[in-house]
Amino acid sequence: MTQFITAFFSGSSHGAIYALVSLGLVLVWRGAGVVNFAQMGQAMFTTYIASQMIMHKNSYWIAFVTALLAGAILGSIIDFGLMRPLSARKNSALLASESMRTTIPVIASLGVLGILKALAGIIWAGEERGFPSPVSTNGIKFGTTTLAFTAFDLFVIGIVLITLLLTTIFFTKTGMGLAMRASALNPEVTRLSGVRIKSVRTLSWAISGMASSLAGLLITPSTNLSPNTLDLLLIVGFTAAVIGGLTSLVGAVVGGFAIGYVISFVNVYSSPENVFLAILIFLMLMLFLRPQGIFGAKEVRRV
Amino acid sequence: MLEIKELVTEFASVRALSGVSFTAATGKITTVIGANGAGKSTLLRTISGLERAAHGSIIWEGLDITKLSVEAIVRTGIAQVPEGHAVISQLSVAENIELGALFRKRKARADVAKAIAEVYELFPILFERKSQMAGALSGGERQMLAISRALVSRPKLLLLDEPSLGLAPLIAEQIINVINDLCRSTGLTVLLVEQNANTALSVADHGVLLALGKVVAQMPASQMIADESLRAAYLGY
Repeated sequence: MTQFITAFFSGSSHGAIYALVSLGLVLVWRGAGVVNFAQMGQAMFTTYIASQMIMHKNSYWIAFVTALLAGAILGSIIDFGLMRPLSARKNSALLASESMRTTIPVIASLGVLGILKALAGIIWAGEERGFPSPVSTNGIKFGTTTLAFTAFDLFVIGIVLITLLLTTIFFTKTGMGLAMRASALNPEVTRLSGVRIKSVRTLSWAISGMASSLAGLLITPSTNLSPNTLDLLLIVGFTAAVIGGLTSLVGAVVGGFAIGYVISFVNVYSSPENVFLAILIFLMLMLFLRPQGIFGAKEVRRV
Repeated sequence: MLEIKELVTEFASVRALSGVSFTAATGKITTVIGANGAGKSTLLRTISGLERAAHGSIIWEGLDITKLSVEAIVRTGIAQVPEGHAVISQLSVAENIELGALFRKRKARADVAKAIAEVYELFPILFERKSQMAGALSGGERQMLAISRALVSRPKLLLLDEPSLGLAPLIAEQIINVINDLCRSTGLTVLLVEQNANTALSVADHGVLLALGKVVAQMPASQMIADESLRAAYLGY
Protein backbone atom coordinates (compact mmCIF):
# COMPACT_ATOMS: atom_id res chain seq x y z
CA MET A 1 0.00 0.00 0.00
CA THR A 2 2.85 2.38 0.87
CA GLN A 3 4.38 1.66 -2.54
CA PHE A 4 1.10 2.43 -4.23
CA ILE A 5 0.70 5.75 -2.38
CA THR A 6 4.30 6.70 -3.14
CA ALA A 7 3.78 5.90 -6.83
CA PHE A 8 0.53 7.86 -6.90
CA PHE A 9 1.99 11.00 -5.30
CA SER A 10 5.13 10.87 -7.40
CA GLY A 11 3.02 10.34 -10.54
CA SER A 12 0.84 13.33 -9.64
CA SER A 13 3.71 15.74 -9.15
CA HIS A 14 5.68 14.63 -12.22
CA GLY A 15 2.48 14.39 -14.22
CA ALA A 16 1.81 18.04 -13.45
CA ILE A 17 5.15 19.00 -15.03
CA TYR A 18 4.51 16.86 -18.10
CA ALA A 19 1.09 18.50 -18.32
CA LEU A 20 2.72 21.95 -18.44
CA VAL A 21 5.13 20.90 -21.20
CA SER A 22 2.22 19.35 -23.07
CA LEU A 23 0.15 22.54 -22.62
CA GLY A 24 2.97 24.62 -24.11
CA LEU A 25 3.12 22.34 -27.16
CA VAL A 26 -0.66 22.39 -27.62
CA LEU A 27 -0.73 26.20 -27.34
CA VAL A 28 1.65 26.67 -30.27
CA TRP A 29 -0.03 23.87 -32.22
CA ARG A 30 -3.46 25.44 -31.77
CA GLY A 31 -2.29 28.98 -32.36
CA ALA A 32 0.29 28.57 -35.11
CA GLY A 33 -0.05 24.99 -36.36
CA VAL A 34 3.58 24.16 -35.51
CA VAL A 35 4.99 21.38 -33.30
CA ASN A 36 7.68 23.31 -31.45
CA PHE A 37 10.67 21.12 -30.63
CA ALA A 38 12.57 24.15 -29.32
CA GLN A 39 10.23 24.37 -26.38
CA MET A 40 12.43 22.78 -23.75
CA GLY A 41 15.39 24.76 -25.07
CA GLN A 42 13.35 27.90 -24.38
CA ALA A 43 12.53 26.53 -20.90
CA MET A 44 16.18 25.75 -20.18
CA PHE A 45 17.41 29.13 -21.41
CA THR A 46 14.93 31.19 -19.42
CA THR A 47 15.49 29.08 -16.30
CA TYR A 48 19.21 29.87 -16.61
CA ILE A 49 18.24 33.56 -16.68
CA ALA A 50 16.23 33.10 -13.46
CA SER A 51 19.07 31.12 -11.91
CA GLN A 52 21.53 33.87 -12.80
CA MET A 53 19.29 36.49 -11.19
CA ILE A 54 18.93 34.45 -8.01
CA MET A 55 22.72 34.02 -7.88
CA HIS A 56 22.96 37.82 -8.01
CA LYS A 57 20.81 38.09 -4.86
CA ASN A 58 17.49 38.88 -6.52
CA SER A 59 14.38 37.40 -4.92
CA TYR A 60 13.01 34.11 -6.24
CA TRP A 61 9.74 35.72 -7.29
CA ILE A 62 11.39 38.55 -9.24
CA ALA A 63 13.49 35.94 -11.04
CA PHE A 64 10.35 33.82 -11.58
CA VAL A 65 8.40 36.66 -13.22
CA THR A 66 11.43 37.76 -15.26
CA ALA A 67 11.85 34.21 -16.59
CA LEU A 68 8.19 34.10 -17.60
CA LEU A 69 8.53 37.43 -19.43
CA ALA A 70 11.77 36.25 -21.02
CA GLY A 71 9.90 33.13 -22.17
CA ALA A 72 7.23 35.28 -23.81
CA ILE A 73 9.84 37.50 -25.48
CA LEU A 74 11.89 34.52 -26.68
CA GLY A 75 8.76 32.89 -28.11
CA SER A 76 7.90 36.12 -29.94
CA ILE A 77 11.44 36.42 -31.29
CA ILE A 78 11.31 32.85 -32.67
CA ASP A 79 8.08 33.67 -34.49
CA PHE A 80 9.14 37.12 -35.64
CA GLY A 81 12.69 36.24 -36.65
CA LEU A 82 12.21 32.74 -38.03
CA MET A 83 8.66 31.43 -38.49
CA ARG A 84 7.28 34.58 -40.17
CA PRO A 85 10.07 34.90 -42.74
CA LEU A 86 9.77 31.16 -43.44
CA SER A 87 6.03 31.32 -44.07
CA ALA A 88 6.46 34.47 -46.18
CA ARG A 89 8.71 32.65 -48.67
CA LYS A 90 5.77 31.69 -50.88
CA ASN A 91 7.79 31.44 -54.07
CA SER A 92 10.33 28.99 -52.70
CA ALA A 93 10.14 25.65 -54.53
CA LEU A 94 10.81 23.86 -51.24
CA LEU A 95 7.75 25.46 -49.65
CA ALA A 96 5.49 24.80 -52.61
CA SER A 97 3.80 21.73 -51.12
CA GLU A 98 1.49 21.79 -48.10
CA SER A 99 3.42 18.97 -46.39
CA MET A 100 6.70 20.88 -46.63
CA ARG A 101 5.07 24.07 -45.37
CA THR A 102 4.08 22.11 -42.27
CA THR A 103 7.36 20.25 -41.88
CA ILE A 104 9.86 23.05 -42.38
CA PRO A 105 8.83 25.09 -39.29
CA VAL A 106 9.22 21.92 -37.21
CA ILE A 107 12.75 21.39 -38.56
CA ALA A 108 13.46 25.07 -37.94
CA SER A 109 12.36 24.65 -34.32
CA LEU A 110 14.96 21.85 -33.96
CA GLY A 111 17.53 24.36 -35.22
CA VAL A 112 16.41 26.84 -32.57
CA LEU A 113 16.85 24.13 -29.93
CA GLY A 114 20.44 23.64 -31.08
CA ILE A 115 21.14 27.38 -31.04
CA LEU A 116 19.71 27.82 -27.53
CA LYS A 117 21.77 24.92 -26.19
CA ALA A 118 24.91 26.30 -27.81
CA LEU A 119 24.20 29.78 -26.42
CA ALA A 120 23.62 28.40 -22.92
CA GLY A 121 26.93 26.54 -23.24
CA ILE A 122 28.73 29.72 -24.30
CA ILE A 123 27.12 32.03 -21.71
CA TRP A 124 26.96 29.71 -18.71
CA ALA A 125 29.75 27.29 -19.69
CA GLY A 126 27.22 24.45 -19.76
CA GLU A 127 27.61 24.04 -16.02
CA GLU A 128 25.08 21.97 -14.14
CA ARG A 129 23.62 23.92 -11.28
CA GLY A 130 20.84 23.55 -8.75
CA PHE A 131 17.71 25.64 -8.79
CA PRO A 132 15.79 26.61 -5.66
CA SER A 133 12.20 25.82 -4.83
CA PRO A 134 9.91 28.56 -3.48
CA VAL A 135 8.31 26.18 -0.96
CA SER A 136 9.43 23.22 1.12
CA THR A 137 10.57 20.09 -0.71
CA ASN A 138 10.32 17.94 2.43
CA GLY A 139 7.57 15.34 2.63
CA ILE A 140 4.31 16.54 4.17
CA LYS A 141 3.78 15.11 7.68
CA PHE A 142 0.50 13.32 8.27
CA GLY A 143 0.41 12.42 11.97
CA THR A 144 3.61 10.51 12.53
CA THR A 145 3.92 9.50 8.88
CA THR A 146 5.88 11.53 6.35
CA LEU A 147 4.25 11.30 2.93
CA ALA A 148 6.22 11.01 -0.29
CA PHE A 149 4.54 14.24 -1.32
CA THR A 150 5.87 17.73 -0.71
CA ALA A 151 4.47 21.24 -0.47
CA PHE A 152 6.35 21.89 -3.72
CA ASP A 153 4.43 19.06 -5.42
CA LEU A 154 1.18 20.69 -4.29
CA PHE A 155 2.44 24.04 -5.58
CA VAL A 156 3.23 22.53 -8.99
CA ILE A 157 -0.19 20.85 -9.29
CA GLY A 158 -1.91 24.11 -8.26
CA ILE A 159 0.03 26.11 -10.87
CA VAL A 160 -0.86 23.59 -13.59
CA LEU A 161 -4.56 23.67 -12.75
CA ILE A 162 -4.59 27.49 -12.67
CA THR A 163 -2.74 27.59 -16.02
CA LEU A 164 -5.26 25.15 -17.49
CA LEU A 165 -8.19 27.20 -16.21
CA LEU A 166 -6.78 30.50 -17.52
CA THR A 167 -5.84 29.14 -20.94
CA THR A 168 -9.21 27.40 -21.32
CA ILE A 169 -11.08 30.60 -20.49
CA PHE A 170 -8.82 32.51 -22.86
CA PHE A 171 -9.37 30.10 -25.77
CA THR A 172 -13.10 29.56 -25.35
CA LYS A 173 -14.40 32.87 -24.00
CA THR A 174 -12.33 35.57 -25.65
CA GLY A 175 -12.20 36.92 -29.17
CA MET A 176 -8.41 36.59 -29.27
CA GLY A 177 -8.73 32.93 -28.26
CA LEU A 178 -11.18 32.36 -31.11
CA ALA A 179 -8.84 34.20 -33.50
CA MET A 180 -5.96 31.95 -32.40
CA ARG A 181 -7.91 28.75 -32.97
CA ALA A 182 -9.22 29.99 -36.31
CA SER A 183 -5.82 31.12 -37.57
CA ALA A 184 -4.33 27.69 -36.87
CA LEU A 185 -7.25 25.85 -38.48
CA ASN A 186 -7.76 27.95 -41.61
CA PRO A 187 -5.47 30.95 -42.06
CA GLU A 188 -7.08 32.06 -45.33
CA VAL A 189 -10.64 32.26 -44.02
CA THR A 190 -9.33 33.90 -40.85
CA ARG A 191 -7.50 36.59 -42.83
CA LEU A 192 -10.58 37.16 -44.97
CA SER A 193 -12.43 37.77 -41.70
CA GLY A 194 -10.12 40.69 -40.99
CA VAL A 195 -8.04 38.97 -38.29
CA ARG A 196 -4.36 39.98 -38.33
CA ILE A 197 -3.04 36.44 -38.15
CA LYS A 198 0.63 37.37 -37.97
CA SER A 199 0.05 39.14 -34.65
CA VAL A 200 -2.18 36.33 -33.44
CA ARG A 201 0.52 33.75 -34.16
CA THR A 202 3.17 35.81 -32.42
CA LEU A 203 0.91 35.93 -29.37
CA SER A 204 0.56 32.12 -29.48
CA TRP A 205 4.33 31.78 -29.48
CA ALA A 206 4.59 34.25 -26.60
CA ILE A 207 2.03 32.44 -24.43
CA SER A 208 3.56 29.08 -25.21
CA GLY A 209 7.02 30.48 -24.40
CA MET A 210 5.67 31.57 -21.04
CA ALA A 211 4.24 28.08 -20.36
CA SER A 212 7.60 26.55 -21.32
CA SER A 213 9.42 28.83 -18.90
CA LEU A 214 6.97 27.87 -16.20
CA ALA A 215 7.69 24.17 -16.84
CA GLY A 216 11.43 24.85 -16.66
CA LEU A 217 11.13 26.75 -13.39
CA LEU A 218 9.03 24.00 -11.84
CA ILE A 219 11.01 20.95 -12.96
CA THR A 220 14.55 22.12 -12.28
CA PRO A 221 14.34 22.08 -8.45
CA SER A 222 14.14 18.29 -8.77
CA THR A 223 16.45 17.73 -11.78
CA ASN A 224 19.15 20.42 -11.65
CA LEU A 225 19.80 22.68 -14.61
CA SER A 226 22.11 22.11 -17.57
CA PRO A 227 21.75 22.69 -21.33
CA ASN A 228 20.63 19.07 -21.81
CA THR A 229 18.59 18.49 -18.64
CA LEU A 230 15.18 19.04 -20.15
CA ASP A 231 15.52 17.10 -23.43
CA LEU A 232 13.73 13.99 -22.21
CA LEU A 233 10.96 16.13 -20.80
CA LEU A 234 10.04 17.23 -24.33
CA ILE A 235 9.65 13.63 -25.49
CA VAL A 236 7.40 12.82 -22.53
CA GLY A 237 5.47 16.10 -22.92
CA PHE A 238 4.95 15.49 -26.64
CA THR A 239 3.71 11.96 -25.94
CA ALA A 240 1.31 13.42 -23.36
CA ALA A 241 0.04 15.96 -25.90
CA VAL A 242 -0.59 13.23 -28.51
CA ILE A 243 -2.36 11.04 -25.94
CA GLY A 244 -4.50 14.00 -24.86
CA GLY A 245 -5.48 14.83 -28.41
CA LEU A 246 -2.95 17.55 -29.46
CA THR A 247 -5.65 20.19 -29.89
CA SER A 248 -7.24 19.91 -26.46
CA LEU A 249 -5.95 21.87 -23.45
CA VAL A 250 -7.75 19.56 -21.02
CA GLY A 251 -6.39 16.62 -23.03
CA ALA A 252 -2.85 17.99 -22.62
CA VAL A 253 -3.23 18.05 -18.85
CA VAL A 254 -4.94 14.65 -18.64
CA GLY A 255 -2.28 13.20 -20.97
CA GLY A 256 0.44 14.71 -18.77
CA PHE A 257 -0.94 13.17 -15.60
CA ALA A 258 -1.57 9.81 -17.34
CA ILE A 259 2.06 9.63 -18.49
CA GLY A 260 3.17 10.72 -15.01
CA TYR A 261 1.32 7.78 -13.43
CA VAL A 262 2.60 5.29 -16.03
CA ILE A 263 6.20 6.35 -15.40
CA SER A 264 5.79 6.41 -11.66
CA PHE A 265 4.05 3.02 -11.34
CA VAL A 266 6.53 1.34 -13.69
CA ASN A 267 9.36 2.86 -11.65
CA VAL A 268 7.94 1.54 -8.39
CA TYR A 269 6.57 -1.85 -9.46
CA SER A 270 8.99 -2.73 -12.24
CA SER A 271 12.27 -0.97 -12.89
CA PRO A 272 13.37 2.44 -14.20
CA GLU A 273 14.87 0.72 -17.26
CA ASN A 274 11.38 -0.21 -18.41
CA VAL A 275 9.98 3.32 -18.27
CA PHE A 276 10.50 4.23 -21.93
CA LEU A 277 9.25 0.86 -23.11
CA ALA A 278 6.11 1.42 -21.01
CA ILE A 279 5.62 4.91 -22.50
CA LEU A 280 5.99 3.49 -26.00
CA ILE A 281 3.47 0.69 -25.31
CA PHE A 282 1.04 3.20 -23.75
CA LEU A 283 1.37 5.49 -26.77
CA MET A 284 0.92 2.64 -29.26
CA LEU A 285 -2.14 1.38 -27.40
CA MET A 286 -3.69 4.84 -27.42
CA LEU A 287 -2.96 5.32 -31.12
CA PHE A 288 -4.59 1.96 -31.91
CA LEU A 289 -7.61 2.40 -29.68
CA ARG A 290 -8.22 6.14 -30.01
CA PRO A 291 -6.01 7.71 -32.69
CA GLN A 292 -7.46 11.18 -32.19
CA GLY A 293 -6.36 11.11 -28.51
CA ILE A 294 -8.49 11.15 -25.37
CA PHE A 295 -9.99 14.58 -25.97
CA GLY A 296 -9.24 15.03 -29.66
CA ALA A 297 -12.27 15.61 -31.88
CA LYS A 298 -13.06 12.97 -34.47
CA GLU A 299 -13.10 14.16 -38.08
CA VAL A 300 -16.71 14.84 -39.03
CA ARG A 301 -17.72 13.14 -42.25
CA ARG A 302 -20.86 14.34 -44.04
CA VAL A 303 -22.96 11.88 -45.97
CA MET B 1 -17.71 51.99 -57.04
CA LEU B 2 -15.07 49.37 -57.77
CA GLU B 3 -12.73 50.09 -60.65
CA ILE B 4 -10.42 47.43 -62.00
CA LYS B 5 -7.77 48.92 -64.28
CA GLU B 6 -5.46 46.88 -66.51
CA LEU B 7 -5.08 44.23 -63.84
CA VAL B 8 -2.38 41.60 -64.34
CA THR B 9 -1.85 38.65 -61.98
CA GLU B 10 0.85 36.08 -62.58
CA PHE B 11 1.78 32.73 -61.03
CA ALA B 12 5.43 32.00 -61.84
CA SER B 13 5.39 32.04 -65.66
CA VAL B 14 1.61 31.73 -66.03
CA ARG B 15 -0.40 34.90 -66.54
CA ALA B 16 -3.81 34.29 -64.94
CA LEU B 17 -5.17 37.80 -65.58
CA SER B 18 -4.02 39.86 -68.57
CA GLY B 19 -4.98 43.50 -68.36
CA VAL B 20 -8.49 43.08 -66.95
CA SER B 21 -10.49 46.31 -66.76
CA PHE B 22 -14.11 46.87 -65.76
CA THR B 23 -16.25 48.76 -63.26
CA ALA B 24 -18.73 47.46 -60.69
CA ALA B 25 -21.36 50.07 -59.87
CA THR B 26 -22.35 50.79 -56.26
CA GLY B 27 -25.50 49.01 -55.09
CA LYS B 28 -25.62 46.75 -58.17
CA ILE B 29 -24.80 43.13 -58.88
CA THR B 30 -21.98 42.67 -61.36
CA THR B 31 -21.36 39.12 -62.42
CA VAL B 32 -18.14 37.77 -63.87
CA ILE B 33 -18.73 34.66 -65.93
CA GLY B 34 -16.48 32.42 -67.94
CA ALA B 35 -15.36 28.85 -68.43
CA ASN B 36 -13.02 26.96 -66.10
CA GLY B 37 -9.58 28.55 -65.98
CA ALA B 38 -10.81 31.91 -67.27
CA GLY B 39 -9.33 33.66 -64.20
CA LYS B 40 -12.56 34.38 -62.31
CA SER B 41 -11.39 33.17 -58.90
CA THR B 42 -7.96 34.76 -59.38
CA LEU B 43 -9.73 38.07 -60.04
CA LEU B 44 -11.60 37.90 -56.72
CA ARG B 45 -8.50 36.72 -54.84
CA THR B 46 -6.53 39.65 -56.27
CA ILE B 47 -9.22 42.15 -55.26
CA SER B 48 -9.30 40.77 -51.71
CA GLY B 49 -5.49 40.81 -51.47
CA LEU B 50 -4.91 37.05 -51.30
CA GLU B 51 -2.96 37.32 -54.55
CA ARG B 52 -0.70 40.23 -55.49
CA ALA B 53 -1.28 42.10 -58.73
CA ALA B 54 1.80 42.29 -60.94
CA HIS B 55 0.46 45.38 -62.75
CA GLY B 56 -2.64 47.52 -62.85
CA SER B 57 -4.75 48.88 -60.03
CA ILE B 58 -7.86 48.24 -57.98
CA ILE B 59 -9.70 51.36 -56.88
CA TRP B 60 -12.45 50.98 -54.30
CA GLU B 61 -14.50 54.11 -53.49
CA GLY B 62 -11.61 56.28 -54.65
CA LEU B 63 -9.00 54.42 -52.59
CA ASP B 64 -6.22 52.45 -54.29
CA ILE B 65 -6.29 49.09 -52.51
CA THR B 66 -3.96 47.25 -54.91
CA LYS B 67 -1.10 46.95 -52.44
CA LEU B 68 -3.06 46.74 -49.18
CA SER B 69 -2.96 43.59 -47.04
CA VAL B 70 -5.98 41.27 -46.88
CA GLU B 71 -6.76 42.46 -43.35
CA ALA B 72 -6.60 46.13 -44.38
CA ILE B 73 -8.84 45.48 -47.39
CA VAL B 74 -11.47 43.88 -45.14
CA ARG B 75 -11.41 47.08 -43.08
CA THR B 76 -12.28 49.14 -46.16
CA GLY B 77 -15.61 47.29 -46.32
CA ILE B 78 -14.82 44.41 -48.68
CA ALA B 79 -15.75 40.85 -47.72
CA GLN B 80 -15.04 37.76 -49.76
CA VAL B 81 -16.89 34.45 -49.63
CA PRO B 82 -14.34 32.06 -51.11
CA GLU B 83 -15.11 29.14 -53.37
CA GLY B 84 -16.11 25.81 -51.79
CA HIS B 85 -18.35 26.88 -48.89
CA ALA B 86 -15.32 28.12 -46.95
CA VAL B 87 -16.09 27.73 -43.27
CA ILE B 88 -13.93 26.42 -40.44
CA SER B 89 -15.28 22.92 -39.85
CA GLN B 90 -13.79 22.50 -36.36
CA LEU B 91 -15.45 25.66 -35.02
CA SER B 92 -19.12 25.92 -34.13
CA VAL B 93 -21.61 27.74 -36.34
CA ALA B 94 -21.78 30.60 -33.81
CA GLU B 95 -17.97 30.86 -33.68
CA ASN B 96 -17.69 30.96 -37.47
CA ILE B 97 -20.14 33.85 -37.55
CA GLU B 98 -18.48 35.67 -34.66
CA LEU B 99 -15.12 35.34 -36.44
CA GLY B 100 -16.36 37.60 -39.24
CA ALA B 101 -17.07 40.42 -36.80
CA LEU B 102 -14.07 40.03 -34.47
CA PHE B 103 -12.08 42.89 -35.98
CA ARG B 104 -14.80 45.44 -35.20
CA LYS B 105 -16.12 43.93 -31.96
CA ARG B 106 -14.27 46.31 -29.66
CA LYS B 107 -15.44 49.49 -31.40
CA ALA B 108 -18.97 48.46 -32.37
CA ARG B 109 -20.10 45.82 -29.88
CA ALA B 110 -23.83 46.68 -30.15
CA ASP B 111 -23.79 46.72 -33.94
CA VAL B 112 -21.97 43.38 -34.04
CA ALA B 113 -24.71 41.82 -31.90
CA LYS B 114 -27.30 43.36 -34.23
CA ALA B 115 -25.51 42.06 -37.35
CA ILE B 116 -25.33 38.56 -35.87
CA ALA B 117 -29.07 38.66 -35.04
CA GLU B 118 -29.76 39.78 -38.63
CA VAL B 119 -27.92 36.86 -40.23
CA TYR B 120 -29.74 34.42 -37.94
CA GLU B 121 -32.97 36.01 -39.14
CA LEU B 122 -31.83 35.68 -42.74
CA PHE B 123 -30.84 32.01 -42.28
CA PRO B 124 -32.90 30.63 -39.37
CA ILE B 125 -31.41 27.15 -39.83
CA LEU B 126 -28.07 28.54 -38.66
CA PHE B 127 -29.65 29.78 -35.44
CA GLU B 128 -31.09 26.31 -34.81
CA ARG B 129 -27.64 24.79 -35.36
CA LYS B 130 -25.51 27.51 -33.82
CA SER B 131 -23.83 25.24 -31.27
CA GLN B 132 -23.07 22.50 -33.80
CA MET B 133 -19.69 22.15 -35.48
CA ALA B 134 -19.67 23.73 -38.94
CA GLY B 135 -18.29 20.49 -40.37
CA ALA B 136 -21.59 18.77 -39.61
CA LEU B 137 -23.62 21.13 -41.84
CA SER B 138 -24.88 20.30 -45.32
CA GLY B 139 -23.35 22.01 -48.36
CA GLY B 140 -26.13 24.59 -48.55
CA GLU B 141 -25.93 25.37 -44.85
CA ARG B 142 -22.18 25.75 -45.09
CA GLN B 143 -22.63 28.25 -47.91
CA MET B 144 -25.18 30.16 -45.81
CA LEU B 145 -22.66 30.16 -42.97
CA ALA B 146 -19.85 31.42 -45.21
CA ILE B 147 -22.08 34.25 -46.44
CA SER B 148 -23.14 35.05 -42.87
CA ARG B 149 -19.51 35.27 -41.76
CA ALA B 150 -18.95 37.83 -44.51
CA LEU B 151 -22.15 39.77 -43.79
CA VAL B 152 -21.47 40.35 -40.08
CA SER B 153 -18.45 42.41 -41.09
CA ARG B 154 -21.02 44.89 -42.54
CA PRO B 155 -19.42 44.93 -45.99
CA LYS B 156 -20.16 47.50 -48.65
CA LEU B 157 -18.77 45.21 -51.32
CA LEU B 158 -19.40 41.47 -51.26
CA LEU B 159 -17.19 39.22 -53.41
CA LEU B 160 -18.89 35.88 -54.02
CA ASP B 161 -16.92 33.05 -55.59
CA GLU B 162 -19.14 30.37 -57.13
CA PRO B 163 -21.80 30.35 -54.38
CA SER B 164 -23.89 27.75 -56.21
CA LEU B 165 -21.02 25.29 -56.75
CA GLY B 166 -21.95 21.77 -55.64
CA LEU B 167 -25.40 22.76 -54.38
CA ALA B 168 -28.77 21.33 -55.32
CA PRO B 169 -30.48 23.70 -57.83
CA LEU B 170 -33.19 24.67 -55.35
CA ILE B 171 -30.70 25.59 -52.61
CA ALA B 172 -28.47 27.42 -55.12
CA GLU B 173 -31.46 29.45 -56.27
CA GLN B 174 -32.43 30.24 -52.68
CA ILE B 175 -28.95 31.54 -51.92
CA ILE B 176 -28.74 33.63 -55.09
CA ASN B 177 -32.16 35.10 -54.26
CA VAL B 178 -31.03 36.05 -50.76
CA ILE B 179 -28.03 37.87 -52.24
CA ASN B 180 -30.26 39.61 -54.76
CA ASP B 181 -32.70 40.74 -52.04
CA LEU B 182 -29.83 42.00 -49.86
CA CYS B 183 -28.40 44.03 -52.70
CA ARG B 184 -31.76 45.59 -53.56
CA SER B 185 -32.77 46.31 -49.96
CA THR B 186 -29.47 47.50 -48.45
CA GLY B 187 -27.54 48.95 -51.38
CA LEU B 188 -24.81 46.33 -51.03
CA THR B 189 -22.48 46.15 -54.04
CA VAL B 190 -22.00 42.57 -55.21
CA LEU B 191 -19.34 41.08 -57.46
CA LEU B 192 -20.55 37.60 -58.27
CA VAL B 193 -18.34 35.02 -59.94
CA GLU B 194 -20.24 32.08 -61.40
CA GLN B 195 -19.80 29.26 -63.84
CA ASN B 196 -23.55 28.92 -63.94
CA ALA B 197 -24.00 31.88 -66.28
CA ASN B 198 -27.76 31.65 -66.59
CA THR B 199 -28.36 31.84 -62.85
CA ALA B 200 -25.87 34.67 -62.38
CA LEU B 201 -27.04 36.77 -65.31
CA SER B 202 -30.68 36.37 -64.29
CA VAL B 203 -30.10 38.42 -61.10
CA ALA B 204 -27.19 40.63 -62.20
CA ASP B 205 -27.30 44.20 -63.49
CA HIS B 206 -24.05 43.97 -65.41
CA GLY B 207 -22.13 41.07 -66.92
CA VAL B 208 -18.41 40.69 -67.56
CA LEU B 209 -17.23 37.75 -69.65
CA LEU B 210 -13.72 36.49 -69.00
CA ALA B 211 -11.80 34.10 -71.24
CA LEU B 212 -8.16 33.06 -70.66
CA GLY B 213 -7.61 35.95 -68.27
CA LYS B 214 -8.98 38.64 -70.57
CA VAL B 215 -12.29 40.53 -70.65
CA VAL B 216 -13.91 39.58 -73.95
CA ALA B 217 -17.24 41.31 -73.36
CA GLN B 218 -19.00 43.50 -70.81
CA MET B 219 -22.54 44.77 -71.11
CA PRO B 220 -25.86 44.92 -69.24
CA ALA B 221 -26.72 41.44 -67.98
CA SER B 222 -30.03 41.37 -69.82
CA GLN B 223 -28.19 42.00 -73.09
CA MET B 224 -25.54 39.37 -72.36
CA ILE B 225 -28.07 36.69 -71.54
CA ALA B 226 -29.73 37.29 -74.90
CA ASP B 227 -26.49 37.23 -76.90
CA GLU B 228 -26.45 33.76 -78.42
CA SER B 229 -23.16 34.21 -80.26
CA LEU B 230 -21.32 35.04 -77.00
CA ARG B 231 -22.87 32.08 -75.24
CA ALA B 232 -21.96 29.70 -78.05
CA ALA B 233 -18.40 31.01 -78.41
CA TYR B 234 -17.37 31.25 -74.76
CA LEU B 235 -19.83 29.40 -72.56
CA GLY B 236 -20.57 26.37 -74.71
CA TYR B 237 -24.35 26.30 -74.61
